[in-house]
Amino acid sequence: MAPSALLQVTGVYKNFGGVQAVSDLSFELSPGELLGLIGPNGCGKTTTVNLITGFVKPSQGKIFFQGRNITGMAPHKIVRLGIARTFQMVKPFYQLPAYKNMIIPLYSPRVKQLAGGKYGDRDAVALDLLEEVGFERDAYVAYKNASVLPQGYLKRLELAKAIALQPDLMILDELFSGLSLAEVASILPIIEKLRQEGKTIIMIEHRLKELFRIADRVVVLNFGEKIAEGPSNVVMESDAVKKAYLGVEA
Amino acid sequence: MFLGTIVYALVNSVILALMAIGFNLTFGISGVANFAYGALYIFSAYASWMLMNLLHIPYLPAAVISILLTTLLGALMYRFVLLRIRGQVLSEVIATFGIGLAILELFRYLGFVGFEYTLPVFIDRSFFIAGTYVDMQRIIIVIAGVLIVVALWIFTHHTAVGLAFRGIAQDERTALSLGIDSDWIATLSVSFGAGLAALAATIIIPLGSISPGEGYDVLIKALAVCIIGGLGSTGGVIVASFIIGFAERFTDSYIGSHWTMIVSLAAILIVLIVKPSGLFGKQKELEERI
Repeated sequence: MAPSALLQVTGVYKNFGGVQAVSDLSFELSPGELLGLIGPNGCGKTTTVNLITGFVKPSQGKIFFQGRNITGMAPHKIVRLGIARTFQMVKPFYQLPAYKNMIIPLYSPRVKQLAGGKYGDRDAVALDLLEEVGFERDAYVAYKNASVLPQGYLKRLELAKAIALQPDLMILDELFSGLSLAEVASILPIIEKLRQEGKTIIMIEHRLKELFRIADRVVVLNFGEKIAEGPSNVVMESDAVKKAYLGVEA
Repeated sequence: MFLGTIVYALVNSVILALMAIGFNLTFGISGVANFAYGALYIFSAYASWMLMNLLHIPYLPAAVISILLTTLLGALMYRFVLLRIRGQVLSEVIATFGIGLAILELFRYLGFVGFEYTLPVFIDRSFFIAGTYVDMQRIIIVIAGVLIVVALWIFTHHTAVGLAFRGIAQDERTALSLGIDSDWIATLSVSFGAGLAALAATIIIPLGSISPGEGYDVLIKALAVCIIGGLGSTGGVIVASFIIGFAERFTDSYIGSHWTMIVSLAAILIVLIVKPSGLFGKQKELEERI
């Protein structure tokens, strides 16, 4: 493992019965880097996220985070080590107001550990974080139950919950899906700001144009295998990638 | 007679709510239908009785110790049995029912049957309210019921563990992704449920006697209340307790005591036919499930 790597995925396989969801996947991620994980539908992107975050266990291979073997570790323990994720299909606590959704990560052992037991006013912190991701404080949107919020706000809430955990690595699973161009344009600066703050990010996206604006590097998957890795302009010229996306022989 | 019936219906409703609230809490958070619930209720009562009569410990400390013991038993039950079969609903029901059966029938086998097995009332006094005498224990039950519901609300809305309880109840994967240990919270939910069963027994048993059969009755009543109210809904439990509590007392006063059990069962049947998920249930209705 490279001494500077924050995350290292080495030779990871995952089978679901007879289906090979991920096959011999290896890649590394340096601190402060923004990696795009792309590929056609069903190529194993979300399975890869689930493998890194402990929601599924690899059939084979190892995953290291900050030099520590996290292969098969329980999801809550991985969160405590500093990996936060969002879900492709948003998963708020629907029966709670948006700001109460934030209180739960603010009470988490990860935040407790970082804050040294001193949290301050959690409600105020929750509202500040929501404002940071675009909840208008004056419109009282933050006080509404998540069940009545439109998709754009739910995606922002998903992002805010991940930020609240103060992670070293954030994995954003299709954050832009289901959003309008204007909504994506308003979220992009938030991600750019996170990058400036030194956050390491993995983004899974189908909105390639927006992703390539901010990604340092991309990994392309197809049928569970890595078919290309590198800067976006180079990767998209690859024959294998063109074939995977366009279905044509180069 | 009418006002007196209302007073006793109110007490009966609070008793039902106390009997059901622990079962509901456990189910709402961990999804475990704890069929050992009635046995835990009786275990706590026998534990208090033994501490008082065999070790000569005064009632209050004996009650506190037995509540703690029952809470611990709930936690052990989860860690050593339920954790291994988590998510397999039928296995959970069979395992918890088996544990409950073992506890209750062990007490029966050891000869803990008879009117001498009872717990003392807290204060031996009665008051004349609305044209009828009401003993202090029943008034304590009503006050305790209100306090427990308020305490539970504060706990689930304003404490870290309470919020984690609500998080797990709503979406376990999300809770996990925020660093909440769902197995630990489920353990706490089963042990808290057991503790609430023990607390209910401490307050309610002085009105009658301790017997293994009472354990089965408590389980059936808790199930009836939770099914009518909607499994997992605290508001539903309270409303259902009042519906059954009032229906039972009015049936007893105006139709006949032998009809009271039928009223509860009929209420379950009617609710299941009209609204299968219960009055405030969050499960999908039949049309949505198809």
